[in-house]
Amino acid sequence: MALPSMASAPRRRPLPASLVWGAGIFAFVLFIAVAGPFLAPFDYDQMNILKRMQAPSAVHWFGTDEFGRDVFSRVLYGARLSIAMGIGATMISLAIGVPLGLIAGYYRGWPEEAIMRGVDVLISIPPIMLGLLILAVTTPSVWKSALAVGVIYVPIMVRLTRSVCLEVMGEEFVEAAKARGERGWYILFSEILPNAWPPIIVETALRVTFAIMLGAALSFLGLGVQPPASDWGLMIAEARPFIHQAPWIAVAPGIALVITVIAINLLGDGLREILDPRMKRDRL
Amino acid sequence: MSEAILDVKNLTVAYEGGGRSSRALNDISFRIERGKVLGIVGESGSGKSTAAMAVLGLLPGGAKPSGQVLFKGQDIYAKSPEERRALRGREISIVFQDPFTSLNPSIQVGRQIAEPLILHKGMEEKAALQEAENLLREVGITDPARTAKAYPHQLSGGMKQRALIATALACDPELMILDEPTTALDVTIEAQILDLLEALRVKRNLSMMFISHNLGVIARLADEVCVLYAGDVVEYGPKETVLGPGHRHPYTKGLLASLPKLTDRRDRLFPIPGRLPDLSQTIPGCIFEARCPFACKGCGQPQPLQAVGADHVSRCWRSLELADVPWRADDAEGGVAAHSTREHQPGGEMLLEARDVVKRFTVVSGLPALKFDASGGGFPLRYEPVSLRAVDRVTLSIRQGETVGLVGESGCGKSTFGRCLIRLIEPQGGEVLLRGEDILSASPGRHRALMQEAQIIFQNPDSSLNPRKTVREILARPIRLFGIAEGAEVDRKVDELLDMVRLSPRYASRYPHQMSGGEKQRVGIARALASKPKFIVCDEAVSALDVSVQASILNLLADLRDELNVAYLFISHDLSVISHIADRICVMYRGGIVELGPTERILQPPYHPYTEALLSAVPFIEKGARQRERIRLAGSVTGSTEQIVGCRFQDRCPRKLGGICETVTPPARSSAEGHEILCHIPLEELSGYESVLEPLERRA
Repeated sequence: MALPSMASAPRRRPLPASLVWGAGIFAFVLFIAVAGPFLAPFDYDQMNILKRMQAPSAVHWFGTDEFGRDVFSRVLYGARLSIAMGIGATMISLAIGVPLGLIAGYYRGWPEEAIMRGVDVLISIPPIMLGLLILAVTTPSVWKSALAVGVIYVPIMVRLTRSVCLEVMGEEFVEAAKARGERGWYILFSEILPNAWPPIIVETALRVTFAIMLGAALSFLGLGVQPPASDWGLMIAEARPFIHQAPWIAVAPGIALVITVIAINLLGDGLREILDPRMKRDRL
Repeated sequence: MSEAILDVKNLTVAYEGGGRSSRALNDISFRIERGKVLGIVGESGSGKSTAAMAVLGLLPGGAKPSGQVLFKGQDIYAKSPEERRALRGREISIVFQDPFTSLNPSIQVGRQIAEPLILHKGMEEKAALQEAENLLREVGITDPARTAKAYPHQLSGGMKQRALIATALACDPELMILDEPTTALDVTIEAQILDLLEALRVKRNLSMMFISHNLGVIARLADEVCVLYAGDVVEYGPKETVLGPGHRHPYTKGLLASLPKLTDRRDRLFPIPGRLPDLSQTIPGCIFEARCPFACKGCGQPQPLQAVGADHVSRCWRSLELADVPWRADDAEGGVAAHSTREHQPGGEMLLEARDVVKRFTVVSGLPALKFDASGGGFPLRYEPVSLRAVDRVTLSIRQGETVGLVGESGCGKSTFGRCLIRLIEPQGGEVLLRGEDILSASPGRHRALMQEAQIIFQNPDSSLNPRKTVREILARPIRLFGIAEGAEVDRKVDELLDMVRLSPRYASRYPHQMSGGEKQRVGIARALASKPKFIVCDEAVSALDVSVQASILNLLADLRDELNVAYLFISHDLSVISHIADRICVMYRGGIVELGPTERILQPPYHPYTEALLSAVPFIEKGARQRERIRLAGSVTGSTEQIVGCRFQDRCPRKLGGICETVTPPARSSAEGHEILCHIPLEELSGYESVLEPLERRA
């Protein structure tokens, strides 16, 4: 790389620590999700009634559950479904919610009324009910429950994007673009959206967590992941009756979930920092 | 010497952060005697506000103060935080810059004023609220009982600032710190507030520390002036000397030369080149050396403050030697050469004609607009939306290469009108012809093509550039959009544009946050120029900038106008700026034009009573010139929802004749070609008024 020609040129700054840690841990979680089945010492559905609810030991690192299945193996297997659920659902809400929010914020008038009233209707239905509604009419599957959770979170994304959009619209550079006769989509996606990302990214990181939990709730109701398949949310839900006798059954997937959530949040923070040039402190 | 209420000795404040420390204030000393006003001036970044915060003991966490701040002989930094807190609001109070955000929007005004009374004086709530009303009356609010019960959003900017002053006065403080108290206000309101402060000061024998970047405002109120530059006191002395002909430091000279002046209209201003030095570096010699035209060998030495007169110090070893040397050599000629303003070019081809432009904003619609009226016959429910007439049948024409200034208080519709001309706001009626072609009825495609010829420069350099784009991306977009260049040619055009606004090509790779306000404004201008327009709306284009930056941007705009023959509609609330750059001035009030004419006609009688009032309100520092008569407008602009009958200005006119002003639309009176005054007062009488500006005697 050529040396900067002057001292005041933007320097390359070290990546923010939150990004490095977040990305590192998340990469590890993804690795587990992909390689889990190959690393697991036991099969996720291999029952052994004689070894029910054993405490963690050298053979069963995280103990065994009420059917004598190896909790460690189930956590490794479960990563795949949980992550797919969380990220898939969030991406769906992002893909639907952000454009709708931008349109509502930018065009105002009847498109805004239509979108926002639609959102009001969605938000007035309790999330579980909405999930039930979507899943009850079709046969349960992981992808449908991801879709259901995604749709449930659309209103939040629409509202957030719209409010950020309204804020950015007041800026003079948007007016400058209009004064050039730019088309609506250019203003939306090139002038407004890049400035709307920071709060959306933070919200997205949070949503992934909630999506995993809501997905688990749907699974618990029998509408998402079907037993005996393993999913962290489902594992926690199923371990609830045994929380006093064998806390490890719930704690192990719980810790896995917490680690994933922390990683995603750190990643979100770090991304926001490097994506937003204003937060780089290389002011002259 | 009388007793000092505040004595600051060798105050140094450094901000620590990110592993480096930068000096905000460097060993500054000043004193304020009882009943006196000290004015502190300087550009942004000079440490003015840090000085205010240091005196209050309210510096942010990372700041390290050293030195002494003696309030009535006691060092406030020797006190405990608890004792300091007791001092604030009770004996030292502060009024901040922005009245729009300084009041809590969800608490009634009266309660906010009563708060310090309850807190510091232990008054009963009822008595405190009563006292709040008295205070509101004292700061000139006519209906204190109602105002006390109002919420901040129900008050105008001027009233809010009065309420804030009332809060600051509540505990009868001995020292009041005013941090740019009038910067966010209109000139007319500013004049009202300054009058109020002057009266309060006499009545209460109040001492004030008055911070402003506006030299005119400082000149109105201060007894002594302290000029700050990059955290150093560079000049300090009595107002008459520092802001008068007796000033000695080159920086003060530069500040004064940067100021556009109403009575001294010259072609170009003389700004201070460069920008503030990096405060994290130690500068061995004079801190102003890099920007000083008088810099020479000896300036590399540390500069102590030198006595240059009675109570007058200057941080420049050549102070006395340079006493009579003006800022720039060409400034010396003064006299005729400097007075020759750009020749008016009425011969230019007609470029833009706006006819009867109307813009209404709906303020009440939907359910609240349903009116129930059972008294008359017919259906009792009626739908009556209320709309505000922001622009009410305005007609204006602009010739090629001409600069038309548009002036008026905020809320008069000037920005809305400017935006209507380039169709950023869609007017409801009238037509806007650009070279004979109506912009308003143009098809979308044609409209886009017309936009290439009509552009806009915005007020706020922080908001007018997309923070996510580099300067190159910002400038390349219009070039590609309008098909001016393609491929590698675009980069060359970008460099050309940067050169045009006097920025070096290396700025192309910067992001907006890496530039100063003046540089950002230059990029904003370059973006407007990218499409090679023939007409540019400058909407308060220099209002947010420091004096010296403002001067260089004004010069740039004037240069570009002469080079490219573009026409400007120059919108500003500042008459000095407008009169400096405009060929013709258009004075607007409540959505309509009240006076229109060549600049020199506008500045001298006959003028419209509103123009007269605006001129009276401008704070001056010009030598020799003074305002003969102070005309003050009460209240502020109120939007009009009804069709205006009679004169627009009759609601606040100090020269109102009577009934005729309320019922009959005033005739256009013309004193010379192209000069029109809409007023019922006959021209002879208008001409007979004394001039607000005493014309400067020509220095031969």
